Amino acid sequence: MRPFPGIEPPAVDHPVMEADVVIVGAGPAGLACALRLTQLIAAAGAASPLQPDQIVVLEKGREIGAHLLSGAVLDPRALRELLPDFPADAPLEVPVVDEAAFLFTERRAWKFPFTPAPLRNHGNYVVSLNRLMRWLGAKVEAAGVTVFTSVAGTALLMEGEQVQGVRTDDKGVDREGKAQSNFEPGYDLKSKMVVLAEGPRGSLTKQLSLGLGLAGENSQVYALGVKEIWEVPEGRFPAGRVYHTMGWPLPLTMYGGGWIYGLSARQVSLGLVTGLEYHDPRTDPHHLFQQFKTHPFVREVLTGGEMLRYGAKTIPMGGWFAMPPASGAGWLMVGDAGGFLNSQRLKGIHLAMKSGMLAAETIFAALQAGQPARPADYTQRIAASWIRAEMWKVRNFHQGFAGGLIPGLLHGALQQLSGGRGLWTRYGAEEGHARLVQLAHLGPGPKYPKPDGQLSFDKVADVYHSGTRHVEDQPSHLHVADLDICQDRCRREYGNPCQHFCPAQVYEMVEGEDGRPRLQVNASNCVHCKTCDIMDPYGIITWVPPEGGGGPNYDGM
Amino acid sequence: MKILVCLKQVPAKDAPIKVAAGEMWIREDVTYEVNEPDAYALEEALRQKEAHGGEVVALTVGPARAAQVLREALAKGADRAVHVEGEAAAQLDCFATAEAIARAIPGEHFDLIFTGLQSDDYGFAQVGVVLAELLGLPHATIIMHLEPTATGIRVKRELEGGYFQNVDLPTPAVLTIQSGISKLRYATLMGIKAAKSKPLTRHSLEEMGVTPRLNRQTITRLYVPARSKKTEMLTGTAKEVAAQLVEHLKNDARVL
Ligand SMILES: Cc1cc2nc3c(=O)[nH]c(=O)nc-3n(C[C@H](O)[C@H](O)[C@H](O)COP(=O)(O)OP(=O)(O)OC[C@H]3O[C@@H](n4cnc5c(N)ncnc54)[C@H](O)[C@@H]3O)c2cc1C
Ligand code: SF4
Repeated sequence: MRPFPGIEPPAVDHPVMEADVVIVGAGPAGLACALRLTQLIAAAGAASPLQPDQIVVLEKGREIGAHLLSGAVLDPRALRELLPDFPADAPLEVPVVDEAAFLFTERRAWKFPFTPAPLRNHGNYVVSLNRLMRWLGAKVEAAGVTVFTSVAGTALLMEGEQVQGVRTDDKGVDREGKAQSNFEPGYDLKSKMVVLAEGPRGSLTKQLSLGLGLAGENSQVYALGVKEIWEVPEGRFPAGRVYHTMGWPLPLTMYGGGWIYGLSARQVSLGLVTGLEYHDPRTDPHHLFQQFKTHPFVREVLTGGEMLRYGAKTIPMGGWFAMPPASGAGWLMVGDAGGFLNSQRLKGIHLAMKSGMLAAETIFAALQAGQPARPADYTQRIAASWIRAEMWKVRNFHQGFAGGLIPGLLHGALQQLSGGRGLWTRYGAEEGHARLVQLAHLGPGPKYPKPDGQLSFDKVADVYHSGTRHVEDQPSHLHVADLDICQDRCRREYGNPCQHFCPAQVYEMVEGEDGRPRLQVNASNCVHCKTCDIMDPYGIITWVPPEGGGGPNYDGM
Repeated sequence: MKILVCLKQVPAKDAPIKVAAGEMWIREDVTYEVNEPDAYALEEALRQKEAHGGEVVALTVGPARAAQVLREALAKGADRAVHVEGEAAAQLDCFATAEAIARAIPGEHFDLIFTGLQSDDYGFAQVGVVLAELLGLPHATIIMHLEPTATGIRVKRELEGGYFQNVDLPTPAVLTIQSGISKLRYATLMGIKAAKSKPLTRHSLEEMGVTPRLNRQTITRLYVPARSKKTEMLTGTAKEVAAQLVEHLKNDARVL
């Protein structure tokens, strides 16, 4: 399958490497899949149809975890199943000790009299997903699996509708697409089974979905989470405290909310989730988060502290009805790539891991039977597991928010009473960018306060704290299919929303040589959140993996 | 030719660095990577091996996390690796570090020992030079190019102001390699896989008797210089002012 229109990779022979199973993405889903496979191999002993050195994991980050960003409150259910001696030596920051939910208005914070059931976190842990996965990744490597870091999957090797492997990224290609003296062609990894564990809006997952016309009953919808880690004076916010907020600075019509989690006596994780289905194209999730921090309640936690890290990443919110078929000939989808996320609880780690484990069991059973994996087998395992039980209950949760916060809460309550059904069995949902309203129909745009450099920051300062870096001399990994649309139609109709939704200031309208505004793409700032691929109103931006190793560095996130 | 390459793991270039409490060093919660000139030293060693045969051994003195730079070196083509391991490594000065290297390689008889020109973190530019002294070998610094001769090697050194110096040296010798002298190779997937079965020897700093007590330098305080602004009016005749200005540009701003 051709990668994407527009790129002409150097025409070369690609070295071939064989592997029975190729897993694309070393997040919780991919790593759990790999580890479960090695456990099945060990249990089968000499009769095993698979060996650990026939499993490879590809990860575009410099290290395992480099591109992982999460809240995160971990529901340990899947991890406990995967590692019976859990928690043993797992790097869990702290158990959740205290929690509350708040409704924010501009000046006040109203505490919910009780924590709504889905937000209850007794028995869960506050974790850094980056640290947790570095730990799990070491176990995967110790079990004999090769994890290729700094290596991206760039194309699927297809024979008709059959996936037969993955091509990895070429290295040493210059800005114009020409091979440099240190050029290394990507490999063709030929495999029996490809596991797509790319997280939200995966680029191979997207290729496959477009190529095979895969879609759920509803369109997948996303949210963007913008996050910082702060060091704060001791005693401000205890370790293990978990706070969620709704309302301000998000208008009542918008989906999303904030969080503050105590990581340790002196560190907090905080962020704001903004639904990527807002109406006003001038909405800026990064600035909304900066504004969130100026709320008296949040300010009190942070004053006198110091921001340590920044990052942003998308979350698939569509739930059960937005999940595409999870497998087909030669491929399986796990984790966020397949939409396995409970948006009501804002939790995906446990579902990602469980889906990875079920995928491993499906693959292993097929290899044992000497047959290609049957898609129906994976679907049945999912249906029989707690994944379906958990996701079915909240199948209509996110869609209930289409009208905004208040109707969402009402629908949520109704669904809670009716086992997830609410008023309809399936609430529909359209793609998020389709909800953008043209400027002509809107009043003045949102006004965001100017960052003060202490509590709130501009995008450039924040991106510095994401540790993002790319090899400068390479083709842009953000493909804009038609620059004329940016210059003309989009400017008039939507005011170039890419300038606002990108949390890393990659897109800027600058004055061109002809005096007209021109789109400038600062690709090396990109934190790989995928928002542009999702939210551009004309669907003309395609995110492809840059040279492996490029991107953010989410230490401790 | 048998070549030793000394590599150091340093905080990544664009890591958001913060001074640690106590003001003695930076906070450790950053990402690390191979020191840039060291990567060129490795590249040069691999090129020499490709051209003239031999063996390339990669060595690092560092805590457990520093094994990463050795794995990378093996994946790129080094034949084996030596990890001189200890949590105290980060507190060693250039003298103690050179001592640790010297004690880890008895009986190896390398023809050439490469280090990077200097490290991106401390920036001493001394480890290679001190190591040569400890081993009783000749050395040359800031190497741009080298080629074997009948009696040893000829190297090209970078001097200031666009000047170079060519020097003939006998081997064995220690060379400190300049950044940017070639294009770094990428590790291939085959290389990464092959690296898993290459030998990696571990020595413990403690067992070798190397501790920060050997240090001859101490850091008393680490801080971010406060930004200050100062305006100075130059007075005198136009000629005097011009002369003063030139002095300032030369000595303070150092742009001339
Ligand atoms: C702001 C935020 C807060 C969250 N809070 C919580 C929470 O509190 N609790 C919870 O349970 N969940 C939370 N989640 C969700 C959770 O983080 C995800 O569901 C989970 O990480 C999904 O795991 P995954 O393995 O499917 O994908 P990911 O974690 O996204 O991992 C995918 C990996 O694949 C790599 N990759 C992608 N494409 C390629 C390619 N082509 N080639 C090579 N490598 C590739 C990526 O670099 C990445 O390392 C949150 C998410 C966000 C963004
Ligand atoms: S360019 Fe796209 S993927 Fe990169 S940071 Fe901006 S919105 Fe996210």
